[in-house]
Amino acid sequence: MRFSVYVLIGISLTIFQSSILSALPIEFFKPDFGIPLIIYTTLFLGPQAGLIATLILALFQEILSNAPQGSILFTKLSVFIIATFLKKQLYIDSKYSFSYICSGFVILESFLFMALSLLSKGETGNIVNIILYTFPNAIFTGFLSIFLFSFLEYLNMRFLSRE
Amino acid sequence: MKNTIFIVIAALLLIVSFLIFTNTAFLVKGYSGIKGGVSEVTGPALSLMGKPADLVRHIFNSYINLVGTKKENVQLKAKLEALQLDHQRIFEIENENRRLKAVLNLMDQQKNTMVAARVVGEDIKNWFKCIIIDKGRNSGIREKMPVVTAKGLVGQTVEINKWHTKVMVMNDINSSIDVYIEGKNTRGMLEGTGQNTLKLKYILKNDEIEIGDKLVTSGKDGIYPKGLQAGIVITVNRNKAGIFTDVDVMSFNNFKRLDEVLIVKKQ
Repeated sequence: MRFSVYVLIGISLTIFQSSILSALPIEFFKPDFGIPLIIYTTLFLGPQAGLIATLILALFQEILSNAPQGSILFTKLSVFIIATFLKKQLYIDSKYSFSYICSGFVILESFLFMALSLLSKGETGNIVNIILYTFPNAIFTGFLSIFLFSFLEYLNMRFLSRE
Repeated sequence: MKNTIFIVIAALLLIVSFLIFTNTAFLVKGYSGIKGGVSEVTGPALSLMGKPADLVRHIFNSYINLVGTKKENVQLKAKLEALQLDHQRIFEIENENRRLKAVLNLMDQQKNTMVAARVVGEDIKNWFKCIIIDKGRNSGIREKMPVVTAKGLVGQTVEINKWHTKVMVMNDINSSIDVYIEGKNTRGMLEGTGQNTLKLKYILKNDEIEIGDKLVTSGKDGIYPKGLQAGIVITVNRNKAGIFTDVDVMSFNNFKRLDEVLIVKKQ
């Protein structure tokens, strides 16, 4: 139940970002709603739920992006694997520590994407853009993660059973 | 043990995603099929959420930008405010009317060759520039069809499903258009930079080009028909090392504020 709710929230936020947020002039700050939900699901519901959430959210993000096929799936799966390995090192005691972790993973994802483009296809054209947007995106995602974490915790306490 | 299994599955999927990224034919075909299937399901949701986007845009333009002005007009009475709101609405309707008339005029010029569509979304990553429009395969749209507005070129269609089409905007890093300068013999490749401006490449230092020159498509790239307005030259730098001139171009369209576009069907 919790897993379905998280994934549904992730999908809704991704579609919301593509449609409604595009109406606002926030080109420089584009949040990645996939990362917080992948990390939250992986760390709090385990790798099985985390992996499925990663696949679903990565697929949805690729549908709504002009990114090369498989690239978002690759970076999101990498984020999932790293989060799983770092499970015992990532200490989330508040919404703020969750926010820092999300920001860090957005930066990591950007560098993974750059490495993937550069090493597999030798593409250097987009590197400047990715570097330019990485930190604003990370800051904005981290900022929104604070509210997302609070919202998910509220849902857990109020409606969803704690495991 | 259970965790290890999922990490192994994830590692295998990681390899598969890498192979898809490197265009391994059979995997790309399968993955496109899955993506197509999922996007057919999500299509209506995007259309539904695309509708309030106009309202959000309207609120942002007409209300948030007027916060400063509002402070100065605190004493204005409710009636006056209502009149101003009405006026604003009329202004928006007039603007929309003008835009739609321009679109209709363009469609009348080339009947049965164009499909009008509304913009319902955009790329969720700011690394790439694409817009999503509310017409899909059912409207006869196919890949690599040019997308224009009354002002000029927008880009080309790249991915189509039943409900929607993804349009790669001409300022995307992967976009490249064969253009020439109106009234001159100079030809070059107009390439996206991922930013608002575009780069006109392969212009020799002794080629005729100056600020304010208009670029039109040459029709030689096999995608864009000849004569579509592509942009205007804003900087020309001949002092750069090498044989080519550094030329910046501004598109005629503001891609952040596109409401309606036309897709040029290939005959």
